[in-house]
Amino acid sequence: MKIPDEMRNILYGNYFGYVCTCNKKDQQHLTPVFFVYDEQFQKIFFITNEKSKKVKNISENPNISITVDIRDPVNPFNNEGVMAQGTADITEKGPIYFLPEETLQLYRDIYLEFKSKYQAVIENRQLGENDVIVQINIEKMVYWKGPHFKSVRIGKDGSVS
Amino acid sequence: MDQSEKKEMKWIYEEIVGRIPPFSLVSYQFSILLQLLFLLIIGLILGLIFNLRSISLFYGSLGILVAVLWSLLILQLGPTLRKFRAPLSKDENELLERYKGILFHSNHYEAIPGLAIFIPFMLYLFYYARGLLEYWLGKEPNIVLLIFVGLLIWDICYRMGLGIWTSVLALWRSLCLKKLAEKRTELEHTPYTELKYLRRLDINNVLFGIISLLLLPILQEDQFLTMIIILFILFVTMTSMISAFIVGKVPWLPPDIYNLVRESSFAYVGTSYKGIPHATPVVYVFDGQSIFFNTSKEAKKLKTMRKNRKVAFLIDKRDMSNIYENKAVLFTGEAKIYGIMDIPLRTFKMLSALHLFIKKYPEYTKKYSTSELPKAWQLTPIIARILVEVIPSRIIYWRGAKQISVPV
Repeated sequence: MKIPDEMRNILYGNYFGYVCTCNKKDQQHLTPVFFVYDEQFQKIFFITNEKSKKVKNISENPNISITVDIRDPVNPFNNEGVMAQGTADITEKGPIYFLPEETLQLYRDIYLEFKSKYQAVIENRQLGENDVIVQINIEKMVYWKGPHFKSVRIGKDGSVS
Repeated sequence: MDQSEKKEMKWIYEEIVGRIPPFSLVSYQFSILLQLLFLLIIGLILGLIFNLRSISLFYGSLGILVAVLWSLLILQLGPTLRKFRAPLSKDENELLERYKGILFHSNHYEAIPGLAIFIPFMLYLFYYARGLLEYWLGKEPNIVLLIFVGLLIWDICYRMGLGIWTSVLALWRSLCLKKLAEKRTELEHTPYTELKYLRRLDINNVLFGIISLLLLPILQEDQFLTMIIILFILFVTMTSMISAFIVGKVPWLPPDIYNLVRESSFAYVGTSYKGIPHATPVVYVFDGQSIFFNTSKEAKKLKTMRKNRKVAFLIDKRDMSNIYENKAVLFTGEAKIYGIMDIPLRTFKMLSALHLFIKKYPEYTKKYSTSELPKAWQLTPIIARILVEVIPSRIIYWRGAKQISVPV
């Protein structure tokens, strides 16, 4: 089974995602990020600084949610969006020579994806020295348009139900 | 140097009391109670020795009570201003430093208004109002008694002077602060907590004025003095109320953030319970002081917020053509959920928030009111849509890729 088209369109058609994490005291943190979506494995990736509050929160509590939406200031019935909830993995960080081949490959792939999606913005900027890739393993997704909702659960292998 | 300057922020009274045992040995509130007791005992003993009428004892005790209540209020100024953090605006910081400098000047200007009340009062009492003196102490009072009463009068006059001194200075400080706040640029501001302190000090002074009402029975025999004290009460209360009102109007957000919050149409709310975060877009309004958003009674986030009051609230400006100009502000803190119980005390605040929603999102309001919608979405104000206020304890601001933490 595949995810509904509406969800796919939102996740592929938008540039900003709003990532919410929380620390061990359950105080939330919310920031906009650039992200790429991987439909095959039901994952979302974003790049952030390893010293950021998000990374600190994720190391305390890996639960995460990301919201991607279209907003219409005039007609609320056109408001449309997806919220994905799941857990976050931070790809290990270290001097490039010591990283395992798969991690390096992941870095290359994700970076190329980002480059093609955000070409206008990132131009030829390389990954920064302190940048890490955060991988969201989606477990649940909610889609809404106006007052109507749809939701799906996603298995560990990326299966949709 | 800073340290010694801060320590010197004391009035004569605080300094003296701070040095004499047993007052210097106990905490500040306790030492005031101790003083009350001390004066009261001396007064009662003198009253018994010189065989005073019980009404005289009552007036004396009332005078002591007023002096002590005043002290409790006014002596909070020092400790509060001592922990005051510097505003993030050069002009506002200079203003507050000047305010503190005059208030706690090493020449002790604060005693001048007290003297200006004490001297004419004593002259009046001995030359024109012997009847009042007789009413208080009987005919031909003993010199010891006169000295004690004189001391008590000085105590009261000195504090009356402090009341005038602090409320006039407070009004001046509030007016200047409001004016300077209009000229702020970018991230200049005085933090929220500090503005709240100033407002609380002003409200203390309003109470100070109200407490003065207790002096009326003591002076009731003399119409002229009664009139003077009523004028004094009106003066202190009104000045402090105006000052508190003006401070309440000073924006607690720097202009960059203020404008972003003012102009944006949407926000995102992050809630969480047992470590599972949840983020959704919301509509919100800002009245210059408080931020409100609106949620359906059935919404997941409302249920989550009822279990964990903490929230994150993000407002941003997104523009793909120039991301280095993008701005965002994140408020983290607590949510105040408005319900039926808030109607009696906060009706005005709730109605004005509702009015702002209607003004900011006219189409939303129209569309929400149609009856074809699911019940939870219909705009039956307060009943189906719940008003939530964001009470921030931290503010983080991004401009382009630069992150700035703004004190609250």
